[in-house]
Amino acid sequence: MHLRIRVRYLVALGAGVLALAAVAASAALSAPQRSNASTILDGTTDTVTNVDPAGNYDYGSFTVDILMYQHLLDFPAGSKVPSPSLATGCTANGAQTAWTCTLKQGVKFSNGDPFTSADVKWSFDRVNTIKDPSGIYSLLSNLGSVTTSGDYSATFHLKSPQSTWPFILTTGAGFIVDHKVYPADKLVANTDVGSLVGTGPYKLTKFTPGQQAVFTPNSNYNGSAVKNGGVIITYYSKSSTMKLALQQGTIDMAFRDFTPTEYTALGKTTGIRVYKGNGVVIRYLVLNVKRAPTNNPAVRQALAYLMPRQDIASRIYHNQVTPLYSMVPAGLPGHTNAFGEQYGMAPNTAKAKALLQKAGVKTPVPITLWWTPSHYGDASADEYTEIQRALNASKLFKVTLKSAEWTTYSKTLGTQYPAFQLGWFPDYPDAEDYLAPFYGTKSNFTSNGYSSAKMDAILKNEAGAKTTAARLGFVKQAQVLAAKDAPIIPYWQGAMLAVARPNIAGISSTLDPTYIMRFWELTKS
Amino acid sequence: MGVQGSSLKRYAITRLALVIPMLFILLTLVFVLMRVAPGNPVSASLGGHVPPAVIKQISHQLGYDKPLYTQYGHYMWDVVRGNFGTTISDRRSVGSIILVNGAATLELTFFAVIVALVVGLVVGLLAGRYRDSPIDAGGRLFGIVVYATPVFFLGLLAQLVFGVWLNWLPTSDQASPITQALLKTHTNIFFVDAIIDGNWGALWDVTKHLILPATTLGLVYGGVFIRLIRINVIRTLKEDYIEAARARGINERSVVYRHAFKNALVPVVTVIGLQLALLLGGAILTETTFNWPGLGHELYIYLQNRDYAAVQGIVVLFGLVVVLASIVIDFVNAFIDPRVRY
Repeated sequence: MHLRIRVRYLVALGAGVLALAAVAASAALSAPQRSNASTILDGTTDTVTNVDPAGNYDYGSFTVDILMYQHLLDFPAGSKVPSPSLATGCTANGAQTAWTCTLKQGVKFSNGDPFTSADVKWSFDRVNTIKDPSGIYSLLSNLGSVTTSGDYSATFHLKSPQSTWPFILTTGAGFIVDHKVYPADKLVANTDVGSLVGTGPYKLTKFTPGQQAVFTPNSNYNGSAVKNGGVIITYYSKSSTMKLALQQGTIDMAFRDFTPTEYTALGKTTGIRVYKGNGVVIRYLVLNVKRAPTNNPAVRQALAYLMPRQDIASRIYHNQVTPLYSMVPAGLPGHTNAFGEQYGMAPNTAKAKALLQKAGVKTPVPITLWWTPSHYGDASADEYTEIQRALNASKLFKVTLKSAEWTTYSKTLGTQYPAFQLGWFPDYPDAEDYLAPFYGTKSNFTSNGYSSAKMDAILKNEAGAKTTAARLGFVKQAQVLAAKDAPIIPYWQGAMLAVARPNIAGISSTLDPTYIMRFWELTKS
Repeated sequence: MGVQGSSLKRYAITRLALVIPMLFILLTLVFVLMRVAPGNPVSASLGGHVPPAVIKQISHQLGYDKPLYTQYGHYMWDVVRGNFGTTISDRRSVGSIILVNGAATLELTFFAVIVALVVGLVVGLLAGRYRDSPIDAGGRLFGIVVYATPVFFLGLLAQLVFGVWLNWLPTSDQASPITQALLKTHTNIFFVDAIIDGNWGALWDVTKHLILPATTLGLVYGGVFIRLIRINVIRTLKEDYIEAARARGINERSVVYRHAFKNALVPVVTVIGLQLALLLGGAILTETTFNWPGLGHELYIYLQNRDYAAVQGIVVLFGLVVVLASIVIDFVNAFIDPRVRY
């Protein structure tokens, strides 16, 4: 009896405490939610290597940096060409070996320090001094030195002519930092948010690696007013978890990345909208020109005839990607459907057969295609099964599929694989960044053995072209030659996708080929 | 007692001394396994994007092109000096990972153990007390099902039912974004930080976020307790002193709860320690399922990135925790059960 009374007393006390806690909780919880009503809650599966721009070369870090820092030239929404930002303009000398930028006056960093040419020189010099293992410094490989003239003029002296230097200024290597705060030879730690200052639309107020980045508007921002009360980015390791968080309303929007199936499911979910804009991510099949059977141009061209682009786009990616007929994606200046013109817009078995017969190639040609399950998303398996199905159905090829984890795969590529899957996300949205890294003898990173004196000459002419028209002419020549030689077969171009709840507005206007999510232009109701 | 105290002391010293060679072996094993696996952090992050020459240059810069024994020597020398290194993929010191993410794992596993104990005790006791009844059958079935179900599947099921269908509980993270942004960091254990701040709104939010992951992990862990406690209760109820208690006219409730049950609990203490490895293994999957930023979640990501320093640090910490916990359990056993000898 005594024990029973004690138990009842404890239960009553516990219930009372819980009730009080619940009341206090609901009251306390509602307060911060109201005060942060216009803060945009974003989710992403991207990761951040480093916030300091001299120490990262990945999209997740870039997305954080673009909120905090500015370039001399930036891409306003909808623009495909670099436009004045911290600079009022940049002009080249006749030889395209020196670019001089005139700087905007009266700009301040978020800590109140004035922005001058010393910051420009400091920012570029420290990228090359630190030489961070992220490899970001490789973007400045053509930079000889930076000189200043007064507080508002800086000149970039290049090692070789480069007409696309303004595009380099818009990359992660070109973010401008405060020379009074950032050390010349080492990075600022991610968690030292007080020292991570820039001139961009937001200030970083809290950063928990792998979990959360919190931004509040920068009152010293020199651009047009930020349209929301701040941004909180939550990092997810799995898209399925992010999808649930979006459906529950834990986050307002998600930018990068869901699986094709998840995008389709979200598109059908009431109260959630999938926004689609022009994208510049591409996927392609690299063919080793030194290894059999793809060392035979006829075999490569036959594969180009048979690539099932439309089936991949519709069956595997639910039309969230579009067929691609050149390494340069549609929407960028200079793009041409070179593969479509050379091999047709749809698979053509008859022409592939005739080509192989003429070259005396015995069919079916045994070929091994490599792909990776751990870098380009879950749909990669289906993508390559579809390619295998199409090639086998032609009876001209007998395809064996092999896969390897990314860590192994990325180290191997053309050194051992005869034909393999790769994807590309550009450093800057220009045709040049879709040509030189693949077709230049010295700059080809795929190790597929492709080398062409003719292509090298075209790429050199493109880099040094004095007018845009001349440059785009060389870009077209490169694409035509690339289609003819076919060391790489491009097959799809991804869209830029973002998913949001109805309380977020302005997303459509920021989805363009520059692939920048301009959070400062979004509103939350 | 004097003899037991002396043997326990000797045993403790021996066990603690063995931790050092154990750590050495573990460090060496993890080091070798990570290095023999193909690829390195540089090729994992930059491969397929920059020319091989750049990858080679950065690998050289980080010393990955040096002979394995040289890398091993450098690593062990750093470890001896208490430096477990810095990650390549996000430039964090292993110490800060252990501090920040370890706190999240501690929070999750602590509450998971509470769930496991509550479930294990209640179901195990009832099943043992009402042996061969429908309660027993139900309890055993429940125990087997939760123990046998993969923890990630249980987690996904919980997310689906309580998050998506019923919309009662959040399905991921330690707290909602705004709570996390506003919560001051004291211990990195959100539950404790909210209490220290007297922020009851945050405490409620954190508690809600804890329920699904802690219950998921706790249920799997609890399955072991259910079976163990049931068997112990059945065995204890057959003991002579129970019969004697009944013969003295003590009511059945007291016999069961005050005599049989208390003694049936002793082996549970041992099992808590022995099952710690299972708990930490389950934490990796639970944390990944619920985006819970603990050490298991980080290990999953760092493994994908071949981040040597982080994987080595976390695995060694897990190993150390399991070993130390088993030593502590041995001590506790010696104190609570006078029959135990070392």
